Amino acid sequence: QMLLLPFMLLLLASPMTWGRYDDFDDGEDLAEFDDNDFAEFEDLSEDAGMEPEATASPRVAAAPASDQDDDDDEAVVEIEDAQDDFEDTETPDEDIKYDTEEFEGFEKSSPSFKDPINIITVPSHLQNSWESYYMEILMVTGLLAYIMNYIIGKNKNHRLAQAWFSSHRELLESNFALVGDDGTSKEAVSTGKLNQENEHIYNLWCSGRVCCEGMLIQLKFLKRQDLLNVLARMMRPVCDQVQIKVTLNDEDMDTFVFAVGSRKAMARLQKEMQDLSEFCSDKPKSGAKYSLPEFMAILSEMGEVTDGMMDSKMVHYLINHADKIESIHFSDQFSGPKLMQEEGQPLKLPETKKTLLFTFNVPGMGNTSPKDMDALLPLMNMVIYSIDKVKKFRLNREVSGVSSTHAIVLIGCRVFGASLYVSLGASQKADKNRARVEENFLKQTHAQRQEEAAQRREQKKLEKKQMKMKQIKVKAM
Amino acid sequence: MFSNSMADPRRQNKILRYKPPSTDTNPTLEDPTPDYMNLLGMIFSMCGLMLKLTEKLVFQLKWCAWIAVYCSFISFANSRSSEDTKQMMSSFM
Repeated sequence: QMLLLPFMLLLLASPMTWGRYDDFDDGEDLAEFDDNDFAEFEDLSEDAGMEPEATASPRVAAAPASDQDDDDDEAVVEIEDAQDDFEDTETPDEDIKYDTEEFEGFEKSSPSFKDPINIITVPSHLQNSWESYYMEILMVTGLLAYIMNYIIGKNKNHRLAQAWFSSHRELLESNFALVGDDGTSKEAVSTGKLNQENEHIYNLWCSGRVCCEGMLIQLKFLKRQDLLNVLARMMRPVCDQVQIKVTLNDEDMDTFVFAVGSRKAMARLQKEMQDLSEFCSDKPKSGAKYSLPEFMAILSEMGEVTDGMMDSKMVHYLINHADKIESIHFSDQFSGPKLMQEEGQPLKLPETKKTLLFTFNVPGMGNTSPKDMDALLPLMNMVIYSIDKVKKFRLNREVSGVSSTHAIVLIGCRVFGASLYVSLGASQKADKNRARVEENFLKQTHAQRQEEAAQRREQKKLEKKQMKMKQIKVKAM
Repeated sequence: MFSNSMADPRRQNKILRYKPPSTDTNPTLEDPTPDYMNLLGMIFSMCGLMLKLTEKLVFQLKWCAWIAVYCSFISFANSRSSEDTKQMMSSFM
């Protein structure tokens, strides 16, 4: 039984070696390879070099059952390895000629020599060349490129943020007691640096000033760290943006809604923003009256507000920096964008906050350098100016159009058929608007609130019944 | 002094602490890219594993695996600050 195992191995191995010899074209080559491959072994041990050949040839001729030693098994392995070596060094395209004289005896026993030589190319996944890994190399190169871009983009964004902060720092520190806060520290101490939200968004919280609660500045840079985004931007250029949100106390602002900016931005905001869609129902108006460029438009609750906001200094800012101003939005009813209408409409009016919002475009259209950040400084001055202005601005409370004394004179003159036109003061108009909006909202949700009230009543009834049942049970027991 | 207009506007007593905006109120405003990429990455890695089990399409399997790796990289690059690193590492895996 011990001898049976190697015998089986030999049986299995021999067909392979037979096949190998068929592929392995001719004895001449064998001799050549022998010389080359075993040249270095010649001095050391000719026996070692000759051994595979010596064992090979008797093996070819003799029956496989002749040798059953373990040595033969090893020799078999050796031969196979040797064959592999031969096959690797052999180039598929090599033209192999043979000398007919040398193979006189072989012609009959190996007819395959007369057939055309089939050079079988080794399948690619068995080759050990670079070509078979072209896909991996490609992918890894792509990944490396992505990683490089990530690092470069991240650093660029960081540099831009620092440049912005260093150019604006002085102005902010002279206006706010707290510049930079991440909300985590116990004491309200200025951190004096930006909060990095992620690789392309930085924010800064400033607080401690008259006329406002606080100011949140968000530097929304392009996603330079994402290669996909970089490629997408080559198709469609986009700007870096600086978004500023100033939240105000109740006493810091009168009741009005106003917006100015590029026409596209105005159209978009009017659709998206809850307060602009409700209070500024007219289409964005041109600012030509104030000599604003054509591409800018104004959304306003009423004319007095526009006149009040567009004073000479503001107009000056707007004209000089029109290319950098995306939108400016002042509102006492700010509640963010319109919420998506779900199955049931929200039952409560959304919470509002008196807010001033500014969105500025960084010049350079994506190809910004840290120097461009200085160009935004005048805009920050405009923000500060707006805060103080809004605090001082008060809507007209008088009954304008026809003042009270005029009314008495007219009645006295008994002008028949002339209706006494009394225009409400702007402030009253604003209050009316807000009341109207609330009323509309209540009407819309009326049906739903009725349903909910009915449901609640039913539930109460059920509960009462259950209580009664329990009491009856207890009594019965 | 005529420095009324130059008066210091800063007020120490009016300081308000920073409150990070809550994400439950505006989930739609946030960029969905990292979530999509995470999902795609997981789908492709699942595909890759299944193809490996069937052992039929070796070539497709390679593509799937590489795309999954790319997706996880893109998701990482676009990620929001609130996501922790453990999630990131698991997606890389």
